[in-house]
Amino acid sequence: MEVLLGITGKDFTLIACSKAAMRGATILKASDDKTRSLNKHTLMAFSGEAGDTIQFAEYIQANAQLYSMRNGTDLSPSALAHFIRGELASSLRSRKPYNVNLLLGGFDPITGKPSLYWMDYLAALTAAPYAAHGYAQYYCLSILDKHHNPNIDFEQGMKVLRMCTDELKRRLPIDFKGMLVKVIDKDGIREVEYNDDARIACP
Amino acid sequence: MSRRYDSRTTIFSPEGRLYQVEYALEAISLAGTALGILAKDGIVLAAERKVTSKLLEQDTSAEKLYILNDNMICAVAGMTADANILINYARQAAQKYLLTYNEDIPCEQLVRRLCDLKQGYTQHGGLRPFGVSFIYAGYDPQRQFQLYQSNPSGNYGGWKATSVGANNASAQSLLKQDYKEDCDLKEACGMAVKVLSKTMDSTKLSSEKIEFATVGKTKDGRIYHHLWGADEITTLLKEHGLAKEDTNADDKIVS
Amino acid sequence: MASGYDRALSVFSPDGHVFQVEYALEAVKRGTCAVGVKGGDIVVLGCEKRSAMKLQDTRITPSKLGLVDTHVCLAFAGLNADARILIDKARLEAQSHRLTVEDPVSIEYITKYVAGVQQRYTQSGGVRPFGISTLIVGFDPNDKTPRLYQTEPSGIFSAWKANAIGRSSKTVREFLERNHKDGMDREATLKLTIKSLLEVVQTGAKNIEIAIMAPGKQVEMLPVEDIEAYVKTIEQEKVEEAAKKKSGRTPGTGSAAILTRGPDDTA
Repeated sequence: MEVLLGITGKDFTLIACSKAAMRGATILKASDDKTRSLNKHTLMAFSGEAGDTIQFAEYIQANAQLYSMRNGTDLSPSALAHFIRGELASSLRSRKPYNVNLLLGGFDPITGKPSLYWMDYLAALTAAPYAAHGYAQYYCLSILDKHHNPNIDFEQGMKVLRMCTDELKRRLPIDFKGMLVKVIDKDGIREVEYNDDARIACP
Repeated sequence: MSRRYDSRTTIFSPEGRLYQVEYALEAISLAGTALGILAKDGIVLAAERKVTSKLLEQDTSAEKLYILNDNMICAVAGMTADANILINYARQAAQKYLLTYNEDIPCEQLVRRLCDLKQGYTQHGGLRPFGVSFIYAGYDPQRQFQLYQSNPSGNYGGWKATSVGANNASAQSLLKQDYKEDCDLKEACGMAVKVLSKTMDSTKLSSEKIEFATVGKTKDGRIYHHLWGADEITTLLKEHGLAKEDTNADDKIVS
Repeated sequence: MASGYDRALSVFSPDGHVFQVEYALEAVKRGTCAVGVKGGDIVVLGCEKRSAMKLQDTRITPSKLGLVDTHVCLAFAGLNADARILIDKARLEAQSHRLTVEDPVSIEYITKYVAGVQQRYTQSGGVRPFGISTLIVGFDPNDKTPRLYQTEPSGIFSAWKANAIGRSSKTVREFLERNHKDGMDREATLKLTIKSLLEVVQTGAKNIEIAIMAPGKQVEMLPVEDIEAYVKTIEQEKVEEAAKKKSGRTPGTGSAAILTRGPDDTA
C-alpha cells in the first residue's frame, strides 16, 4: 500500500510518497520520508522490502555524494539513473538481492531539463514523463494519461497531483496517511506544503 | 639480494626530490615535440614524428597521436611503449565509466585517472615511473573544450596552449608570443604548423614528419575528433608555405 | 624469502633516523606555502598559488585547497600528485563514515585518519612516504569551535591556533606567533592570513587563494577583488608604519607628510 508518484513539468519534477510506514497490516508511523537526496538536483524515492530500501538508498546516496566530493561536480540525473540500475542489477544476480522499487526525480542544471526515471526491483529502467509504483499505478496512470502534458507549469502539476491523491484516498482500502511532496527544479530540492486533511468519500 | 629490487621504487633524495621522476622528465625532453592549442571552437594537437622511413606504412602506424574515447584524444612524448600501456588503461577507464553512467567520462576525470596511475608508480610497487608526458584534448558538456598536460610525476594542469618534448622551451615561448584568446580552429592549425616548423630541425615540413589531429563540433552540434591523413596535412602545409617543394623543383630541372 | 618488495624503504639508520621521512619533509619545504588561522568564529585557509603562466587555463588547473567533505577543508604543501591521492582517500573515508554512523566526520577524526595513512606509508613494504604536509580545518557538526590541524609525512598530527606549511613556513609561523590573537573577528582573521602570506608571496593578490569556513556553512572562496583590497590596505599600513618609525626620530608629525614619504621607504 505504499504510494510513490512522480510527475515532470516544463521546468520541474514532482516526487510524492505516502507518509505511512507499514509492517503487514499495521501502521508504525505516519510521518515517514521515503526519499533521499543524492545531490543538489536529484531525489530518489523508494518502496519495497523495509530494510532493503533504506540500506540500498543510503548506499547509493553515499556513492553519489562521494562522486560529488571527489570530482567537484554532481552526477547528472541520467548518469545517476544508470549507475543505480547497474548497482541494482548486480545485486539482483547476487545471493541476496535487494527488493527495492525506485523513482528518481531530477533536474539537469546543464541542459536545464527536468527528468524522471522509473525503476522496479528487477532493475528495469525507463525514463517517463510521469510514473508510479505499487497500487498507485492502477489508479493514477489513467488520470495522468488524460491530464498530463510535458509543458504544464508548477501549479498545474500540483493540480494533477491532487487529482491523483484524491483518487487514491477514494479507492485504496487502507489509509496511507497522506503524502509527502517534494519538488526538484533549477534551485534544488525542497519540500512542498501539501494539505491532506480533506476527507474524500467513496461513492 | 633484495636491495637490488627495492632500490627500484622511487625514493626521496636528501633534498626531498624524486630523481627517478626527474630522469624520466629528462628522457621526455629528447622525444619529438608535441603541442596542443585550444581554440574557441575546437582544439588542435600536432606532433613531430621521429621515425621516418619511406617504407613505413603511413596511415596505420601512429606514433604520437591517439584516440582515447569518443570525445578525447591525446599526444604523447616520451617512451612510446610506456604510452601504449597508459593509453590502454585510459581507454578502459573511459569505457568503464560509459558502462556505469551511460555518459562519456568528463575530461578532467579521465586525465586524473591516468595521473593517479602515474603517481602510483612514483610511490610504490618497486617499478620505475612511466616515461611519458601527455597532452590531452577533449570536450565535455560542463566545461566545453579543454586542453590538459600531464607528466611522469602524476601532476597535471589545464592549458590554453602547451607543448612537450624536444625544444619544449622554445615551442612554449613561440606559443606564448603568438597565442590569441578566442582564435578559431583554423587559425590554431596555422599556428601549430608554424611553431612546429620553427622547433623542428628541418625548415621544410612534410606529411611524413608530422602528425596532426583536431577535436571540434560539427554543424549539428556533435563532437568529432579527427586524425589527419597525409594529404590533408600536405594541403595545410602548402597553405602556409611550409611544404617541401618537391614537384616544383622537379619541374625546374626539366625546364 | 625476500622477494624484494617486502622490505620497507624507510628503515632506521644506525643513529636512529628514518631518512626517507626526513627527506619527505624536504619535499614539503619545496612546496608552495599554505597558512591556516583560527578566528573567534571562523577558520581560514590561505595558500600561495604558483603564478599562473600566461597560457595556463586557470579554469581547469587544480587548486591546492580542496574539500574533503562539505564541512572539512584541506590545504597541502609538497608533491601535488601525492596530495591528490591522499585527499581522495580522505574523501572516501568521510563518506564511508557518513554511511556507517550517519554523521559527518569530526575534524579531529579525519585528521587522525589522514595522519594514519601517512604513517602507514612510512612503515610498509616497498613504498615511500607521502611528500606532503596538510592543514585541515573546519567545524564539527553542530559545533561552533573552529578547528585547525596539521599533519606531516611522518604521520604526526597536531592542533594549532595558526600555522604554516611549505616554503618559508618558518618565517610565516614566526610572524603568526607574533601577531595571532585569540578570538579575532572575520576581518582580523582574514587580514592576518593574507598578511602572513605576504611575508613570502611577493606578487600579491593574484597569487593568493583564500578559503573561509564558518559553522554550518559551505566553504567560501574569497574573490580575487576582496583579496586585492586586503593586500592594498595591508601595504598601505606597512607604508604608514614605516613612515611612523622614521618620523619618530624627526619631530612634528603630519600624516600628509608621512604619506608622501612612503614610497621611499618601500624602495
